[in-house]
Amino acid sequence: MKGGAFFENIRMSLRSIAANAVRSFLTALGVMIGTGAVIAMLALGAGAQKSVEASLQSLGSNLLLVYSGQPRGGSLVRRSTTNIVPTLSAEDLEAVRNLGPHLVELAAPESSSGGQAKFAAVNMPVTIVGTGIRYPEIRNVHPILGSFFTEQEADSRKTSVVIGHQVYQELFGGAGDPVGQKIRLNGLGYRVAGVMEPKGSSVTDSSVFIPISTFQRYVSGNPKYALINVRAASAGIMRQAQGAIEKEILRLHRLPNLDAADFYVANQLDLLDTLQGVAGTFTLLLGGIAAISLLVGGIGIMNIMLVSVTERTREIGVRMALGAKSGDIIAQFMTEAIILSVAGGLIGIALGFGASWAFSRFGGLASQVTPLSVALSFGFSVLIGLFFGGYPAYIASRMDPIQALRYE
Amino acid sequence: MIGVTNLSRHYRMGPTTVKALDSVTFGIQSGEFVSIVGPSGSGKTTLMNILGCLDSPTGGSYILAGEETASLTSDKRAEIRGRRIGFVFQNFNLLPRENSLENVELPMIYQGIPSRVRKERARDMLRKVGLEGRERHVPSELSGGQRQRVAIARALAGDPAIILADEPTGALDTRTGGEIMELFHSLNRDGTTLILVTHDPLIARRARRVIQIQDGKILADVPSGEWTP
Repeated sequence: MKGGAFFENIRMSLRSIAANAVRSFLTALGVMIGTGAVIAMLALGAGAQKSVEASLQSLGSNLLLVYSGQPRGGSLVRRSTTNIVPTLSAEDLEAVRNLGPHLVELAAPESSSGGQAKFAAVNMPVTIVGTGIRYPEIRNVHPILGSFFTEQEADSRKTSVVIGHQVYQELFGGAGDPVGQKIRLNGLGYRVAGVMEPKGSSVTDSSVFIPISTFQRYVSGNPKYALINVRAASAGIMRQAQGAIEKEILRLHRLPNLDAADFYVANQLDLLDTLQGVAGTFTLLLGGIAAISLLVGGIGIMNIMLVSVTERTREIGVRMALGAKSGDIIAQFMTEAIILSVAGGLIGIALGFGASWAFSRFGGLASQVTPLSVALSFGFSVLIGLFFGGYPAYIASRMDPIQALRYE
Repeated sequence: MIGVTNLSRHYRMGPTTVKALDSVTFGIQSGEFVSIVGPSGSGKTTLMNILGCLDSPTGGSYILAGEETASLTSDKRAEIRGRRIGFVFQNFNLLPRENSLENVELPMIYQGIPSRVRKERARDMLRKVGLEGRERHVPSELSGGQRQRVAIARALAGDPAIILADEPTGALDTRTGGEIMELFHSLNRDGTTLILVTHDPLIARRARRVIQIQDGKILADVPSGEWTP
């Protein structure tokens, strides 16, 4: 094809598309809906993946949880440590900390127990959590009022307490500054040091946090921990850190291997993998269904192009008589098909963005259009134009000019 | 300009062979105005298709402007059509959505002539056929005679060796048909080689030479003054 003919093809295609405006629109509609659906569905998938990541990050980043007890389905979703028989010692915690900053950034012990909190005349059941001063950083939950207890308070078995947000709401009506107020836990008086931010998880929000030394002394009477919270130095070394922790505690507990262990390590990555796998499957499924609708749109283009080729048999004959080669005819009809599918694709992208916006605005769904999905679906719609425009164009190019000129 | 030697076109229809053209030989010089005449089924349409490089002969030789065209690929034939032949059809065959100028440009597009040159030449051709000022009209805004003039301008636009006109007055009334014949004569006087294919002896006679075809063979090949149908 010559350079000048290229623009001629575009000009003539646009004219032919404009001459059958309604039909052209309906033809492109299939590709529009298909492209829009692919983008919207992939946006939903990406949104789901994002919210999975976000909710995991809200547990704390690079989180490893060393649980007491027999290994069981490594869940990171905060399990109550209330009913666990603690097997982890201060020695274990020290050993974990001593693995070094290249593996373990922070570590905090944790034990918990059910209890009653009382302020003035209000009573409520709470989970009393004994932990260390690093807990807020590791678990990514911070005080909004006052402060978490300090190292000094933790070491001296001070009766300081940081209360969860729901506890704050029930005992103090969610208003005013309770810092410095005295509440009673299981009958013992504690000074409120701070209030935690709401996490939306009922376990955290209905907990009260006291220094682990205080917990051991006044609540459990047990020197062992139910759990050690660990923040690994980076996402890349989480498995390495997990291995090192397992090895170290096995040694301290004089155990031969993990099968016999009285503890287990839950790794944030494992959960992330699982959840992302689910989100990925979900994305694939939605995207696949949407891709089928794009395919159907392509078949629509082929259908109309075949009709168009038949209708324009005479024109094809005239062009051939005037010197058009088969390549010229192919180029002309392909140009038309590609213009239809590209226009459909572009409008479809806009539709996809709109649908994604509507999902999050009105459907309350996490939805995020990814550049990849835009590129993918647009590229796909161009390919569909090429592929489904190709056959009708080929049919046109194979016409016998004598027959075509005689066509009524 | 044209050399046709023992040209044959046979069609196989089951067990029988139909000889649409049976060993035809003639020559046409540059600047001639020849009509090919014969009743329907005589083989004149087959001959015209071969002369127009729309079809290939099954035997013999057809030399157009020094080039043997008898056995070429369809793309090569398309190229020769674009470069050497200008078609004028009975029903004009203009593209309905394109205006006069764009219709005349069409053969030049396929020759790869740049847009500016195309437009200028198309304008010249429209002027030559007396349609100055009608460049922007689409075919439906033109009369039959005007449409045929656009078609003739289009045929001239590619600067062909021959103009091949198939019943060019067939769809026109007598007066308009006469005007078109006048235009052909004036083009011929300027040096254009014309071949006019018709079944109508009155039209055929208006060329300067008549080749009469019957049953795939040449019945007569004489100056039109000496021809009696």
